[in-house]
Amino acid sequence: MKHKLKLKLRNVTKMFKTEVGETCALEGVNLEVKPNEFLCIIGPSGCGKTTLLRLVAGLDHPNSGEIILDGKEVEGPSPDRGMVFQEFSLFPWRKVIKNVTIGLEIRGVEKKERYRIAQKYIELVGLNGFENSYPYELSGGMKQRVAIARTLATEPAILLMDEPFGSVDAQTRNVLQEELLEIWTRTKKTILFVTHSVDEAIFLADKVAVMSVRPGRITECKNIDIPRPRKRTSIEVNKVREELLMLLKSRA
Amino acid sequence: MKAIREKGIWLAPLILAIVLWELVAVQVVKDPVLLPPFSRVIFSFYLLREVIILDILASLVHFSMGLALAFSVAFPLAICIGWFQNVFKVLDPIIEILRPIPPLAWIPFAIIWIGLNPFAAGFIIFIGAFFPILITSYTGFKDVPKILIDAGKVLGCTGDKKLIRYVALPYALPSVAVGTRVGMGVGWMCVVAAEIFGVGMYGLGFRIFNEFIYWKEMDFIVAYMLILGLVALVLDRFLRHFVENKLFKWKKGIVRQ
Repeated sequence: MKHKLKLKLRNVTKMFKTEVGETCALEGVNLEVKPNEFLCIIGPSGCGKTTLLRLVAGLDHPNSGEIILDGKEVEGPSPDRGMVFQEFSLFPWRKVIKNVTIGLEIRGVEKKERYRIAQKYIELVGLNGFENSYPYELSGGMKQRVAIARTLATEPAILLMDEPFGSVDAQTRNVLQEELLEIWTRTKKTILFVTHSVDEAIFLADKVAVMSVRPGRITECKNIDIPRPRKRTSIEVNKVREELLMLLKSRA
Repeated sequence: MKAIREKGIWLAPLILAIVLWELVAVQVVKDPVLLPPFSRVIFSFYLLREVIILDILASLVHFSMGLALAFSVAFPLAICIGWFQNVFKVLDPIIEILRPIPPLAWIPFAIIWIGLNPFAAGFIIFIGAFFPILITSYTGFKDVPKILIDAGKVLGCTGDKKLIRYVALPYALPSVAVGTRVGMGVGWMCVVAAEIFGVGMYGLGFRIFNEFIYWKEMDFIVAYMLILGLVALVLDRFLRHFVENKLFKWKKGIVRQ
């Protein structure tokens, strides 16, 4: 076996209790993510993308099936699966630097060391000079940059991103996507990225997994071989977009 | 000039009220027992200058005893009730039954249980301050947004202890502060009543009800009423300054901006 898998989901099923009974959010989901791979999951809203990510994060538990990261089954939340949320999730009472150091603080890393590490990641996301700002003083895009730095600071084995740029404006989103690719290249992280935007997925991903709705399933995995940097409007990109849109349409 | 005018905007009505008070008392009522004029009240401050300090101190002692006890019981309890759903379910009915009982209704038991000493006054103030601190604080712990809890979990907060320490407690602290402020207000209102039944020889409430009222020294009573208001004002301002400017700068974006 040439490539050892980073993350493997086997036959994962998740049911939710509702007022009318049980609904099946995910049914028999299989997924394989290679080390250093950038994998995007796309699908219509309500298809269970976020649920899938929460299961990998350990915030929810599957009813059946297994989730295996680096050969070990996922049992609960842990900083080795860092997660960036769609909503702003910074701790409002902590300054930027202290938001980034919190994971290390919880782990018991010495103060000087955690500030050194945090500084490194604040620079990586381009927020030098904002170390002592409070989250309320930052724009939406900046908040998500801090959230990325905070997640990276604990050196997770995999980065889980749940529509992290969903609540910022279109221009900022484009910039953040480029920055994320830059960070990905430099940190060599494995990234599992959830989005509903086909454009975003094509711009970022090595591989795109398409999900269907009710029951939530991965219906197709497509490699995107277009060399980076990708041009958002190039002919190849448009071709892939067309294909993905067709896939989504036929499953909706 | 404009700044002075804007800052001093409260001064004119205040002076007007005092002048009106003096005029009505001297020209209309003409009876210092029914309405002591402002000038006589000011003069009473001078006459009472020695005892007034001792009475303020005694009342502050009663007040701090009650408040300190209320805070040290209510705060840990608020964490448990706010954070653990089951504790809330078990304790909520008991709290809701005890809460509406006026603190003064506890006076007989304060005397029976504790006796006629300053601790009995402290107990009444404790009852008064306890519930506002408890209720407002546990609401803070209950309301921690799920997203922050999830973020805490993926950053390594395993178990309730770490989640409370890193997420719930800092989130709820402003509520704890608001609760304490309200509790302080209610506690202070209980001071007068708590001192009526003779727990000591000093105290603002004690003096009003055990001395001044017998001689119908209404000017002394008004002076003490003003002191009661002023002390509360100073305490409240002190806490507010400390809380808003020092502890909760981060809240600006959420409540004040």
